[in-house]
Amino acid sequence: MLSANGVTQSAPMSVLWHPALRADWLVLQRTGTIAYVRMLGAPVALLASCVIIACGDFDGGYGWCLAASALLALGGSHAIAHQRVLDALERWRLGWCGALPIARVTTAWTLSMVIIATLLVSLAVVEALLLGVSMHAPHREDLPYALTGVGLALMVGTIVATLRALRGGARLHHADGIREPLFALRWLNDARLPHLPDWQRRAALVRWRRGGSFVMVGIVLAAVPMGAPMLEVASVVLLVLSWSWLAVAMRASAEATAGAVRLLGAMPLDIARARTVSFRYPVVVTFCALAWMAVGVALLRRGMLVPAWIVVAGAASLWPVLRILRATRSAKTAT
Amino acid sequence: MTALLRTTALRVAYGDACVLDRIDLEIARGEFVALIGPNGAGKTTLLQAIAGTAVVCDGHVRIDGHDLAKTPREAKQAIGLAVEPPSLPALLTGRECLALFAGARGLAPIPPATLALGEILSLTPMLDRRIASYSLGMRQKLGITLGLIGEPPLLLLDEPFNGLDPRSALAFKTHLASLVARGDTSVLLATHSLDVAERHATRVVLLMDGRIRRSWDAGELATMREHPGHSLERAMAEA
Repeated sequence: MLSANGVTQSAPMSVLWHPALRADWLVLQRTGTIAYVRMLGAPVALLASCVIIACGDFDGGYGWCLAASALLALGGSHAIAHQRVLDALERWRLGWCGALPIARVTTAWTLSMVIIATLLVSLAVVEALLLGVSMHAPHREDLPYALTGVGLALMVGTIVATLRALRGGARLHHADGIREPLFALRWLNDARLPHLPDWQRRAALVRWRRGGSFVMVGIVLAAVPMGAPMLEVASVVLLVLSWSWLAVAMRASAEATAGAVRLLGAMPLDIARARTVSFRYPVVVTFCALAWMAVGVALLRRGMLVPAWIVVAGAASLWPVLRILRATRSAKTAT
Repeated sequence: MTALLRTTALRVAYGDACVLDRIDLEIARGEFVALIGPNGAGKTTLLQAIAGTAVVCDGHVRIDGHDLAKTPREAKQAIGLAVEPPSLPALLTGRECLALFAGARGLAPIPPATLALGEILSLTPMLDRRIASYSLGMRQKLGITLGLIGEPPLLLLDEPFNGLDPRSALAFKTHLASLVARGDTSVLLATHSLDVAERHATRVVLLMDGRIRRSWDAGELATMREHPGHSLERAMAEA
């Protein structure tokens, strides 16, 4: 493009789709099955949980089941969409394509289209699951309410999260992670690998905020049936938040550990020590989560919840633990 | 005299593409070797293979008498690889990152010599800020300082002057020259700056298509410095 003084200027690219979308798709295809599992795991688990609750016959009555499933869809879709849109924005702005003259509207358009497509697929999955599961459900005549409730909640959660992320995306949340903890656990740091636990903690905080943490608290509170005793409310909040924080912190710890091992690849790293230090913060997080869970169970006086909580917490922690083990093993054989 | 670094028939491939093919390279203590060559010649891969961060298909790397494949910790004690700016952790501060590297090397706290280098490079005022807020030049300075922690005998530097302001670049060149002049530090510098190679190196090695095509020793480099018509640029073009 020529300006008035004859100097050639580059104009923003007039592409409809952000070029990083195709690159991300190729990376996904070439990474293999694990990448698909990581991408689809959380949404599929969310949709399945919504359907199970919507078709269930729990203590709070069917009205509570409908409300709880819709609220879970709202909170879960918000958390997933908010984190993924922010991740994509960061990757596209700071990655290889960050310097390309791509208009902001192109980025927003591409992300919006991807989100809408994801939403349509999610709605189709929910409808199919509800139709399938409700055949044997005790409240099959109320299926339209469940479909409407979960569908609307998915749409609202996803759209609000996308708008929030697009609006605040320029202010990426790295700054939040640098905050010092309320109680500094100095013994967490090992002199031979200092600040790795700090790295893990900050990564967990960034990830937690990207998931829209405060929204999750509100959703959990809203899911409690009307007139429920305060102790029950508190126990439900403790059980859900302790589990979700554990899942977030474990994933963040695994990512930080893998990053640290890559960063220190040329150093004479004591790999046994690195593995031990890598597990310190996750172990502390696990104990804290267990403590909160124990308080929640004690308030609710339902001991049977303990094994159920441990099973879902173990399922959420398994992959991060394996990733930490693999990262510290691969460093050993890098040469 | 035992070579500080010896690579024997070193071969590295990414899939079907052979990036380094039977590289034999020796560096003695106190040598300043510049590695030059066109883009894609394999300079960065050679540094990574020596540092143990690239998977070697065949051949051997011995550093300070230790086989990198058999005794990686002992071999890596003798090397310092400058960290590439994009690899630095955004969530740590510069000082925390220095402490992490010092700890990994078995040094605690951060050695005074490292902090002194930070001062020379005008990095000190930024050390307590998070790396996410660093400019490219500041990241480059931190990456260099991390590579030099503990002053290991073999420094591996990949285009370390990229993004440095002239004052910091000069300060770093002077620092490198003083380390090499002491006789116990060797440098392997991958660079496109032929003037730096010509002026500071004691040997220049030309890498093309994954193979060493030729090298210029100290005498030939001295001749080049004396006769402007015999530049490294011209010699490289002829090669």
